[in-house]
Amino acid sequence: MENGEPLPSYEGLAAAFAKAKADKEREEAQGLRPTTRDAAVAQKQGEVHFKAAHGIVIAFFTWILVLHALGIYLFTSGFLLTRLVLDQKSECALPPTDIGQPYSPGSPETGCWHPKSFDKAVVILVDALRYDFTVPFQAEGSEIPHHFHNAIPVLYETAINHPNNAFLLPFIADPPTTTLQRLKGLTTGTLPTFIDAGSNFAGTAIDEDNLLAQLRNASKRIVHLGDDTWHALFPGYFEPNLTHAYDSFNVWDLHTVDNGVTDHIFPLLHPSNTSKWDVAIGHYLGVDHAGHRYGPDHPAMAAKLNQMDGILRRMIEQIDDNTLLVVMGDHGMDSKGDHGGESDDEIQAALFMYSKRKYFGRSSPSYQTPPATAKERPVAQIDLVPTLSLLLGMPIPFNNLGAPIEEAFIGVKGEDYKNLALVNRLTAAQIHRYQHEYALARGLDESTRTSSLSLWATANEVWNSLGGLKKPNRDQLRNAYLSFSAYQIETLRVCRDLWARFDIPRMLNGVTILALSLAVLAIYSRGIEGDRSELTPALLARGIIGSIVGVLVGVGFSFAIPTLPREHVLIYCSAVGGIVGVTTAFWYIRRRIMSPIPNSIWGWSSVIFTVALSVGFAANSFTIWEDEILLHFLTTFGALTAISSFRQKVPADRVLGLYHSILFIILTRITSLSRLCREEQMPYCRSTFYASATSSTSATWQLAIPYVVALLLPTFIRGYYDGTLSYQGSAVLWLGFALRFGLLLSAAYWTLDAADDGDWYPGYGDILKTTKIIIAQITFAIALAFGYSTFSWSKPLLNIENKSKQSQDSSTQVIADGGTSSITILGYANVHGSRYALLITMWLLAIALVQKPMGAGAIGIAAWQIFSLFEIVDTNKLSDTPIGPVVLGLLGSFHFFKTGHQATMASIQWESAFIPLRTIKYPWSPLLVALNTFGAQILCAVAVPAVVLWKQPPKKKGLLGDVAKAMGTHILFYAVINLATTMWAGHLRRHLMLYRIFCPRFMAGALVLLVVDVVGIFIAIGGTRLSFLSVGEVFGWH
Amino acid sequence: MNATPKVRPPAVPIEILSSDAARIYTHIHPILILSLYAYKFPSIVADPVPALLSSLIPLAILQIVFVAICLPPTGSNTVVVEKKKPGEKKKAPESPISRKIIPAFLSLLLSVLFATPLLAATLVLFGAPISTHYFHTLLCAAHISLLATLPLVYVHGVDGQTWREVVALLLPVDEVYGGMIGTVIGAWLGAVPIPLDWDREWQKWPVTIVTGAYIGFAVGKLVGGTIGKGRKIMFD
Repeated sequence: MENGEPLPSYEGLAAAFAKAKADKEREEAQGLRPTTRDAAVAQKQGEVHFKAAHGIVIAFFTWILVLHALGIYLFTSGFLLTRLVLDQKSECALPPTDIGQPYSPGSPETGCWHPKSFDKAVVILVDALRYDFTVPFQAEGSEIPHHFHNAIPVLYETAINHPNNAFLLPFIADPPTTTLQRLKGLTTGTLPTFIDAGSNFAGTAIDEDNLLAQLRNASKRIVHLGDDTWHALFPGYFEPNLTHAYDSFNVWDLHTVDNGVTDHIFPLLHPSNTSKWDVAIGHYLGVDHAGHRYGPDHPAMAAKLNQMDGILRRMIEQIDDNTLLVVMGDHGMDSKGDHGGESDDEIQAALFMYSKRKYFGRSSPSYQTPPATAKERPVAQIDLVPTLSLLLGMPIPFNNLGAPIEEAFIGVKGEDYKNLALVNRLTAAQIHRYQHEYALARGLDESTRTSSLSLWATANEVWNSLGGLKKPNRDQLRNAYLSFSAYQIETLRVCRDLWARFDIPRMLNGVTILALSLAVLAIYSRGIEGDRSELTPALLARGIIGSIVGVLVGVGFSFAIPTLPREHVLIYCSAVGGIVGVTTAFWYIRRRIMSPIPNSIWGWSSVIFTVALSVGFAANSFTIWEDEILLHFLTTFGALTAISSFRQKVPADRVLGLYHSILFIILTRITSLSRLCREEQMPYCRSTFYASATSSTSATWQLAIPYVVALLLPTFIRGYYDGTLSYQGSAVLWLGFALRFGLLLSAAYWTLDAADDGDWYPGYGDILKTTKIIIAQITFAIALAFGYSTFSWSKPLLNIENKSKQSQDSSTQVIADGGTSSITILGYANVHGSRYALLITMWLLAIALVQKPMGAGAIGIAAWQIFSLFEIVDTNKLSDTPIGPVVLGLLGSFHFFKTGHQATMASIQWESAFIPLRTIKYPWSPLLVALNTFGAQILCAVAVPAVVLWKQPPKKKGLLGDVAKAMGTHILFYAVINLATTMWAGHLRRHLMLYRIFCPRFMAGALVLLVVDVVGIFIAIGGTRLSFLSVGEVFGWH
Repeated sequence: MNATPKVRPPAVPIEILSSDAARIYTHIHPILILSLYAYKFPSIVADPVPALLSSLIPLAILQIVFVAICLPPTGSNTVVVEKKKPGEKKKAPESPISRKIIPAFLSLLLSVLFATPLLAATLVLFGAPISTHYFHTLLCAAHISLLATLPLVYVHGVDGQTWREVVALLLPVDEVYGGMIGTVIGAWLGAVPIPLDWDREWQKWPVTIVTGAYIGFAVGKLVGGTIGKGRKIMFD
């Protein structure tokens, strides 16, 4: 509040305080008096009333949190399709069904479930080998051949000239068509989903059953050459002395990887070396990189394909009789040479198999010519898994959904339907076993599988009927083959529906819940006149009644129409019912409702910042450059408050406001220098967060940053307390000593961490590790245990000074009845703000510890800016406007980037889970990662109540309502962002950049909203309970 | 609360001079400014630094001509209002050079020397490159300052209290003030297309900012002279 304007009750209030104090002192001498007991009763009542009102505000916000969670859950369950990863592995000795023939299974030497056909295999993966690259160009109309046409004819020629030695087929990828996802599909035989929910905490390693794991189990030696993605997926699988991996990241380099593969693969084919390995994998990247760099229609692409042609010819020549050669693309590329999406050009790759001895066949002579386009006779990429497994005598991986490729099992004459029926029966039986286990693990009922189960029963009947015949004829065998194949096709279709399709009704209903709860929150935070804490009980009661009615209606619906998914209906009905309930409450209190449309420049700028940001998330560019946009907005805010400060009438407000506005702007710009660029920002961004753009360790000079923070920040914060003489009592111990000591410890932690990482003192690694973990634990203890006990039991930061009467400052001194000396109450002007803000500094310490050194600097500046913001809001009298909480939202989002994060999965600093712990411990490890990732948003959310408490008079009415209003506004900011990113992700679900840009931003927005909800409700509003009680104890309740 | 010690007359909007030339030229001026920019635009996109530098001179000339023809120089405001009739009667005022051209050149000097560095620093605070493109940023600031501050200095002089009101957006809107506000808002909006992935040459720094400033100047001047005239900007 303004210093120069004493409120009418001020003198009386301070006098009462002085009197109470004097009375108390007298009581101590004389014993209790009856009047004190009355006062104590009134005091007690006030306290009970406050606790009740506070509890109801918490409950109301929790109800909002539940709505957010329900909306996000409903949308996510329709959008982010998840698949459970089963741990079961197929075993050589345990075929999925009885073999029913003279063959005895169980030996990898002859073949596990089926006699093997090849001893060894060379698998050549030509990244982005699109199918139309491999077949001759056939002009449609006046089209002329492009550079990528007819440049790699070897596959087609071989397949046509030696149909029993080779075949060439279109090879269809399941989107997303990125190499990592494709390698998963090509080795496990499963469909990709965005989240494969497995037991793995952070790593990318494939932990479900796969072809490579089966080979390794059977003691086969695998050699890998080329793209190093394989090593992330299959760590430790490959023969170390023969394997050569190359960085796959540098797409401008067309030749390093390819030359490396070629140099090392041909020696392996030499007869003197063939005994050293069983399966060799060569992954060429040149074609893909040429596509990314130049696009497919470019001479460089033709040259690259020609080079591949030569290499493959040599390979076909040199390979021996018992080795199978597989050449394939993992995906295609679009007209610009990029991939990741699901357009035809991206999913249509090529598959080619070759054997020196005659082995392959066709079921029809017309199939000898490879298909002219990828639309004819395509095989799925997952079909490679059972095909290769059976050809090499391995069991089919447990999770496989693919089918054996006809050409590889039908025999040279194209008549061996018995073999084909056998391999299809094996594959189908394994799929059946997998589906059964999956349904058990996921708790799915059989209804989703009725269609495939009946096909399974039919196929088995057909097969059993064959057993009665002496010698089944061709058509009967073919029928058995087709009926097992039908089961596989149907199961794959069901799984695609479950895992790879968006559930639009769920997404829409999730968005509806989010939008409606946003409207409720907007009215609650910005559309109610006066103290909303007194209205909250009615709102909450009607909301809960509405939810209960909603649940009952939902139960009724789901019984009346059993086809509706019950969980979905219940969630939707309870959320909408609750919202309808609150709407009736709004109607009930309609006289207190006012238009939430802003009426000042502050209201409008809050709306513009929030809405502009949200609209921008529809464009990938604005999403990529969010950090720069936030810088622009925060500086704009600082400029507006600087202008507004010039408009202030009181010179002190003018000067202070201007000073803090300029400080705020400059601090924003300084922090903006800390950058961790995302891939898409290149080449216009230079990372400074770590020692270099390619490192993830801090530079030595960066280790000094936390020390600077420890030395300066407590002093700066003290400055904000000194302004109102609030540096009293517990603040001295906490700010002056504990906070600084804790920050120094966290700085020491990062120095020790660097020493440990860089092996500065060889031999002392263990000691360093132990010491740093202990230091981190002590820091947490200071921040949370010591911090919270200080915060709970601290008295208001006040002090009484006795002075002679003629002291100057009349506003803070009172003269007790008949007294000759005046009493100055130090810290009176900011009782609530200074008391509550202790909580911010505690969380500051906990968050600063888990940030990297550069991030600790950013968080330190964030705290400094938060206190500046309090002063700006106070001097410009903005505590009633939405701008304070909204700018805290912008500030939290901004510092999210400045603490080394981006809205990408790759930027998550998983290692922060290990700062105070040696091993992963639930729930602490995920909480630590959350504290690291969303530290900036958490800090800003904790600061929200202080925006409306800073420098408010101790007995101001409706402060709890102000806190609720501010927190509602703050959550509203994130709720708008979340709704926008959710809608864009849903709307752009077919967009090329969905998985790279929109989906991660949606997930970040949803997580941030939930984290801010929880922190805002339980830490911030919850914290005001302690600080209000402590102030109320001294100043009484009104 | 504290009444301002010095009682000042409430600020009034600046009126365009009453001569026919002033009334006509004030509408031609923004067209000339925009035409100059449109003419220079391809070369600015091709190579910003020399093109922005060379276009400063015609911009300065146009602005000086504009203020000299259309606007009352600082200090003449009250004179014009109060002593209108005696002024007309005299018919032989002091030479236009000393009365108009010299203040105009002083305004140019002040804009270049003081406003440009300040605006350049502001641009950097708003996210302009901090370690590269110094000349780009400086020239961008120079263009903004010639558009926005030169006429303001010409009409308001260097009185500290008036400039506090200018910065605080407390003056009533007129063509000059509107032009300044429009230039600033235009430059602010000019940042919007920079991040878009359209791969256009004109997205390079600082082309969009300067373009926004020029368009904003013309729009702001028009609005300030018509529907916005005399209005005050309210914050609350």
